[in-house]
Formats: sequence, structure tokens, C-alpha cells
Amino acid sequence: MNTQLLPAVPAASSSGRPELSSTKRPARGWFARQYRRRMLRADLLTVIAWASVAAAVALWLADGGATNISSPAALFTAAGIVAGLAGMDLVLLMLLLAARIPFIDRTIGHDRALEFHGKLGKPSLYLLLAHGLLLVIGYGMAEGLDPVSESINLWVQVPDMWLAFVSMALFIAVVVTSLVAVRRRFPYEFWYVVHLLTYAAVATSIPHQFSVGGLFAAGTWQRWYWLAICIYTGSALVYFRILEPVLATARHQLTVARVESVAPGVVNIVMRGRKLDQLAGTGGRFFIWRFLAPGMWWHPHPFSLSAEPVFTGPDSQGTLRVTVRNLGNGSAQLLRLRKGTKVALEGPYGLLSTAARTTNKVVMIGAGIGITPLRALLETTPFAPGEATVLLRGHTEGELYLGSEILDLCQARGVRLFHLTGPRSRTKSPWLPEDAVRNGYSLTSYVPDVADADVYVCGPAAWAANVIADAGKAGAPEEQIHHERFNW
Amino acid sequence: MKLRGTVAAALASAGILLAGWQTGTQVNGISTVASSTTATGTTGATGSGSSGAGSSGAGSSGAAGSSGPTGSSSTSGSSGSSGTSGSSSSSGSGSSSGSGTYKGNTVQTRFGPVQVQITVANGKITDVTALQLTNTDGKSIQISNRAAPLLRSKVLAAQSANVQTVSGATITSNAYLTSLQAAIDAANL
Repeated sequence: MNTQLLPAVPAASSSGRPELSSTKRPARGWFARQYRRRMLRADLLTVIAWASVAAAVALWLADGGATNISSPAALFTAAGIVAGLAGMDLVLLMLLLAARIPFIDRTIGHDRALEFHGKLGKPSLYLLLAHGLLLVIGYGMAEGLDPVSESINLWVQVPDMWLAFVSMALFIAVVVTSLVAVRRRFPYEFWYVVHLLTYAAVATSIPHQFSVGGLFAAGTWQRWYWLAICIYTGSALVYFRILEPVLATARHQLTVARVESVAPGVVNIVMRGRKLDQLAGTGGRFFIWRFLAPGMWWHPHPFSLSAEPVFTGPDSQGTLRVTVRNLGNGSAQLLRLRKGTKVALEGPYGLLSTAARTTNKVVMIGAGIGITPLRALLETTPFAPGEATVLLRGHTEGELYLGSEILDLCQARGVRLFHLTGPRSRTKSPWLPEDAVRNGYSLTSYVPDVADADVYVCGPAAWAANVIADAGKAGAPEEQIHHERFNW
Repeated sequence: MKLRGTVAAALASAGILLAGWQTGTQVNGISTVASSTTATGTTGATGSGSSGAGSSGAGSSGAAGSSGPTGSSSTSGSSGSSGTSGSSSSSGSGSSSGSGTYKGNTVQTRFGPVQVQITVANGKITDVTALQLTNTDGKSIQISNRAAPLLRSKVLAAQSANVQTVSGATITSNAYLTSLQAAIDAANL
């Protein structure tokens, strides 16, 4: 069969902004403007986040909360209420950061969104703990009871309060199990299921917020505001984490077409589907794949495309491809995927893409299986001949996966390409091969103008950290260095 | 860029907090004008809560006078510092200083309305019943349930509304005693 391969066309944008329609580099300053727009959005997100916390406290102030503090008991009660309001607001922010909202994703990226999500974990737990303790002390003082009796009192006498106590226990369980040390000790799936308890924790905390606190009593505008932000957060989660992936899966109807061996333990999974034009231009971004076969469907795999979609028929039918290395943990099964297996997808997510570009020059540095997302990015991200450099790192030539495809792309687009193989350096720049360092080579030997370039780094975390350190030393500012972790 | 975001966020937050604070002090600063309309031949005194008290919900105007026998009086509702205010106009059924039941007016608090009724026999208060108590939320119901029996026994012992409020239930207590005073006035005790 001889099929005509049609060139990939990036997805049409409905945002109304000028979008790149080809791999031809746009006029000077385009990427700088793109970066400024992105930073403006980032600032907007910062303002929204802080303002929402302030608004939570302002709700209480507007109700005259601060003017009613006339006794130590009232002071404890007031502090408890404020802690609860701020704590719940942080919890909602955490949920929004994890909701994969496209605006957040294309502004700071999935990776950094989850980093902020993690950073808010402890503060919100402390605020919620303080909320419980301060209120039990405050109420207890007002009624002449010790905090323990007051807690029992609240549990028994006040409707919905027992749920709030359950919620507190769940929050503690979630945050404790999410701490990195604990995360390492348990398998990922266990951690993931415990994390799902967050939803139970938030759900059980909501009734008492509306029924016990006088602030959100029926008929107050504060009640409407609080309901609105709770409902918005819930809807965003349901839409972007459940509904959108289901719709995307139904839209593209992906099935496994074939599994090809690339190298020992590394395969290309080629999938057939339709409306693939909507997935074009996503090089570097990742999707979460689920292969709907017995024993596999529940295992989510975060992989980037390793090539642009190839179109073979009407309705943008065609194939797309991911390249997978057997890293255990369920990916061994992928080597034996059957043809015709249905595939569910979520995404694309992340900012390791053209959307992150800030300048005209590009450097891509990949190691091992991390080379493959860069292969797709190299195919589409715009630059003029001579403006891009690719560095591939592996122990052997065989570990430079898709190396020959990358060579072809580099020849076609006028890109400098370096293969860096051999055992790693034990002195400085441990991301480079030992003999390169011994011969006096550093990052700037390969890319003299790295300080003016967007540097995409993809590979194992420790290795990538070393690359990023060297790129920083060579003068590339933080905003030009693009790296994402995929191990979420 | 980071600085710009931080500064903007700080300014926005400060603005929101300030607006909240302003609204909060205004709510409490408004002195409630509690007007009461009463039937002819009675004195209707209006007063404003003098002590900067809580809710802006004015007390219900006593609609009484016309229905029962006379003896509806109005007292202005200045209450303690705890946020009750409202007009007290009450209607009593039965003649002055006799026996019977007398309802106090309804006093609005930020946690809900409060109204009490007293039973008088031979010029003595023999019972106090709470017809309405603060009930906007679970916590205030709990407070009400605790405060009401305490207030009742204190009032029965003192035979007046001049009793100590229950700590931790100041707002409920003040509203309770305000309504009680209106009922006592209505009974002409």
C-alpha cells in the first residue's frame, strides 16, 4: 500500500490571537511578545490567588467580625474562623491548580501548577488544624468548658459537626501521605488513592461551613460568594479532569495500530484515530494514556508524542506515535500491546512546547528516552536554519533513540546536531560524557550562543538538574530554560 | 515580572481587605432606628441603639394596641454592646398588674429573632417561655439551648430583667432580656 503522507498542519486556534501556522520563524520580537503575554497571565493568576485569600478574610470583616471581639474567648473564636476561611480558600486553590485548567496550563505549565499545589499542602493543613483548635478553645472558654469537652459537645450537639471532624482526619491523612518521604515508601498507586480522599475530605467539610458558621447563614451575600467559588472549583474539576478526557477519547477513537521495536526495551506505539489535526503541533507536551485492556486500563501513562500526527484519510484520520521505554511499573506490559486495543487519552498538558518560547534561537538537550519528546518538538517549533542546536546524550549510540530520524530532521531544517556518548563525567558537568569534559568541552563549546536561546531539557531528573545548572552558568536566564518532570 | 505580580497581588489583597473592613464597621456603625407604631392613646417612644450594636435588622414594630385591651407600651431598644437592638413594643392581654401571659416584642439579632413570653400570677412572674430563640445556625441553636434555661431561672429568682447575661451567649441574653423587659412593661409589673 502506498499512502500519500500529508504534511501536518497545526490546530486552528479559536483564541483570535495570531498563531504560528508553519515552522517558518515569525518576525523578530514575536516570541518576546508571546513571553510578555504569558507573564501577564502569570501575574493575573498570582493576583487572583492572593485576592481570593484576602476576599475570604474580607467576607468575615464585612460581616463585622473584627468589631465584635470583646473578650479572649471571642478573640480565639475570631482567629479560628479566619483560619478556617483562609484554609478552605487554599484548599480550593489547590484543587484548581490540580484541575488541569487550560488557562493555568498554558501560563505556568502542568509541572509548576502541581509544584504550587504541593507547596500549598502544608499551609492549608496548618490553617485547618488551627481553625479546629482555636474554635474549640474559643467556644470552650465562652461556655466554661475545656477544649475536649467542647469538642464532644460540638460533635454531639451541633448538626454536621461530626462530618467536620471526619473531614479534618481525612485532611491530615492526605497531607501526611503526600509528603515526599511517605510517597517514596509507598507505591504510587497507594499514594494516588489516598490523594483521592481529598475529595472526600473537602466534601465532608462543606456542610458545616454553611450550617454551623453564622457568616454563611441563609440570605447573606457571603453565602452566595462561598457557594459560587465552591461550585466553580467543583465544576472545573469535573469538566477538565473527567468530561474533557472522555470527550477527547470519544472524538479521536484511538486504537493501537502496531507496536514496533526501536531498541532493546524501547518500542514505538503507533495509534490510529481521527480528527488528529487537533493534536498537531503538540510536540513536547504530554498526554496521559490509558490502554483499555484487562489489567491495564487503570494505569495512566504520561507520554509525549514522538512525532507529529501523520494524516492518511479524510476527517483528519491518521496515526500518531509515542515512544516508550520499559521502566517497569506497568510499562513492561506496553511492549506486548495487542493491535486494536482502544486507547483513552487526556491532554495535551504541559509547557515544554512552542508556547514557552521567548526568543528566536532554540537548543534541545535530551538524554535516553527523554530524546523522543524533543524529536516531535524539533519537527514543528519555528526557527530559521542555523538557529537551532540539538544535543543528544546516551551511554551508547544505540541509546540515542530515534537518532536517525532526528538526523534527518536536522538536515532538513538546518540544525546543528551533537551525539554525546560514553560514560558520564565524574568531575564537573556530570551530564556530559567523561571524554568530552576531559578534552575541555562544556555547554558553550557546543552552543556558544546558549545565553540567547530557549533551552529545552528532557531527561532523567538528576541529569536534567545538571544541564540546567550549566545553562544558567552560561548565562541563559531562568525564563529561557524549559524543563518538566513527567513523574506525576 | 515577578515583582510586578507580587506588588499587584499585594495591592489587590489590601484593597479587598480594606473594603471588607469598611463594610464591617459600617454595618456596626449604623445605629438602628427602631420605630414603633402603636395604637392611639399609647406613648410610642422611638430610640436608637446608642451603643453601637450589631444588626441592622430593626426590631419588629409592635402591631399590638388595637387588638387587645390597652396597655401596650413602647420602650426604646438600646441594648448592651452585643449587637441587639430593636424597638420593644409589646402587647399584653389582660389588665395591668393582673394575671395572665404577656408577650415581649421580637428582637432581631444577627443570629436570628428572639421573643419571650411571661406568665404572671398575682403580680409575680411565674414562668418565662422563649417563643423564638437565635437559630440561624447550629452553633447559635446550641448556645440558645444552653442559655435559655439559665436565663429563665435567673429571671424567676430576680423577678426582673435586671440579671447577668450568660457568658458566651451575650447576644442571645441581651435580646432575651430586652424582650423580657417589654413583656414586664406590658404586664405593668
